[in-house]
Amino acid sequence: MVKIFIDEKPFEVEEGITVFTAAEQAGIEIPHLCYHPAFAPEGTCRMCLVEIEGVPKLELSCATVVRDGMKVSTNNERVVEARKGVLEFLLADHPMDCPICDQAGDCKLQDYYEKYGMFESRYSENKEKREKKRKIGQTLIHDQERCVLCRRCVRFTREITKTHELGVFERGVHAEISILEDGPVNNKYSGNLAEICPVGAITDLDFRFQTRSWFLKSGDSICPLCSRGCSITIDSHKGFSHFKVPKRVYRIQSRRNENINGFWICDIGRYGYGYINENRLEQILLKNEQNEAMDWEKALKILSEKMKKVHPMDRSSGAVLILNPWLTNEELFLIKKFLIENQEFENVYLIDIPDGEGDDFLITTERSPNKRGLQELGLKAKSLSSDKLPEKIKLVLAFTPPNIDSAGSASVKAVFDKAETKILFASNKNDLSDVSDMVFPTAVIAEKSGSLINIDGVLQNFSPALEALGDSRPEWQILVEMAKEIDINHKYYDQFSSPETILQEIRKEISDFGKKSD
Amino acid sequence: MSPEFSDKVKKQVQDILAHYPEKKAALLPVLHVAQQEFGFIGEDTERMVAALLDIKPVQVREVVTFYTMYNRKPVGKYHIQVCSNLSCSLLGGAGLLDFLLKKLNIGLGETTKDKKFTISTVECLGACEQAPCMMVNFDYYGDLDEEKIDKILDNLK
Repeated sequence: MVKIFIDEKPFEVEEGITVFTAAEQAGIEIPHLCYHPAFAPEGTCRMCLVEIEGVPKLELSCATVVRDGMKVSTNNERVVEARKGVLEFLLADHPMDCPICDQAGDCKLQDYYEKYGMFESRYSENKEKREKKRKIGQTLIHDQERCVLCRRCVRFTREITKTHELGVFERGVHAEISILEDGPVNNKYSGNLAEICPVGAITDLDFRFQTRSWFLKSGDSICPLCSRGCSITIDSHKGFSHFKVPKRVYRIQSRRNENINGFWICDIGRYGYGYINENRLEQILLKNEQNEAMDWEKALKILSEKMKKVHPMDRSSGAVLILNPWLTNEELFLIKKFLIENQEFENVYLIDIPDGEGDDFLITTERSPNKRGLQELGLKAKSLSSDKLPEKIKLVLAFTPPNIDSAGSASVKAVFDKAETKILFASNKNDLSDVSDMVFPTAVIAEKSGSLINIDGVLQNFSPALEALGDSRPEWQILVEMAKEIDINHKYYDQFSSPETILQEIRKEISDFGKKSD
Repeated sequence: MSPEFSDKVKKQVQDILAHYPEKKAALLPVLHVAQQEFGFIGEDTERMVAALLDIKPVQVREVVTFYTMYNRKPVGKYHIQVCSNLSCSLLGGAGLLDFLLKKLNIGLGETTKDKKFTISTVECLGACEQAPCMMVNFDYYGDLDEEKIDKILDNLK
């Protein structure tokens, strides 16, 4: 440990860290554009200059290592003056097209301009005209005019993906970020480039001109599209009082989590949010009743009648339960307690989610967010695609995932075809929602709380990033209400007011459940 | 068709590589050899050099475009580079450039139809004592005037 003074306050910091990191730990933010904690310092933007006592020139805080007794000023007159000067140069050729720039509101350059701008420009010369919409990748547009040449994107393709698509060509005023003629950015993590660009130079075609960032509400969640469980933020739009907006979720960004995904997410997770917006089930559907509004209380009563009709003697052979690995630990636990143990569903099947192509970074071949949870809870389920079905099926309760594919829904359909009563719990319309006797709309992971266990055995809790759509409800809540309606031990379920209370109960039974918890 | 070094040049490259602890450190001299061999450094040459030095083509492009002495397009037999910096400009360098362009009937950066001459400007040649000056391939010509330029061009066959 070394003792340093930042803005006259003493701090004990670790040896070998930079002045920038030391200030960050002390809660002092030093303006910066090119510095990114994932990369080695580069020192191209010059925004992070600080004064160090005894050093004649201002130093780059991102590249200067702390020394014992060092006295750093991050905000005195000289430093602020320098920042203004650096910013004046950075903005000399900046197009100032913030009103049509997607980055506006999220832009560091804009923030620093507010704070350190000169406002009245001293330049009488015309600004350089450059290419404003070069397509550098499948989803990426690069604007040479807005670019401040921080090289974050170049370093990303060299240090993180090691795909080397981007470079800085030419020099001086002509220097520009570019790709080779035949080498567009083509990797499974390309969306991160738009995210790490500190200005509006790299924009994402998926988000470009869609909305303004200040209309969006950010919520934290976990990506369910593979077994890694990357930390994400989901940006959604509530719409305006007088008109609707075309989407609910507008973008997904990565959220820093050193244990799981670092700073990054893959393009599958970033762009695969369609299921949250489209084809959702918003109302309870009951076959043979046309458009009758159905509330949960009434629907659960009807369901319990239907379930009670199946005689306990028939349960072991005639009742089928179909699960999927998108269900949270809490939901799976309730299913185990209530449906399997109390209601004696013995024929438990799991919908197979086909593997995808994985890599040695974040993307796993297994595409199920909570297969580990199923295993740790000791839930034994047969494979729906390869194991035999019972001869006669009286009742089937099926929980389907949002991304069920045609093979998956065909395997459930095979059960439905044999069954007398078919109950579906689903978030999205699928081939089964039209042939079910009852359909209960469920919330997607982004809309609920609970926990999942990822491929490395890490249990992660998450909260809703946005409200559940329409009448949809999270499965845990539906299960608690069903159990209170049907289960003779209904008092047991009174304690489950939230997923946290359910997780506590799981840990009472399995003490080391999700042992590598976050 | 991707270009390939002749055996003689391959030997030259091996000698250059022997000077450096890392292959990629030899990028500048190897590019010079490549330019001598092919007259310019095109995309194919960039790729070949990248493979030779175990780096990525994009890194070669960065270096080739950074330094003005690497030609990215073919140049004529004689590459005339006229100094456009301070001393030469004060002593009429710009006028001489215009004279040259008019005489050869080409624009700046262009090559004559017979592929003999290419004209470009160059920042300071470090020969202010003989301003205005220019360079033809690797030879210096100083204290220029129109008459002198006529003579120089006549001698370039």
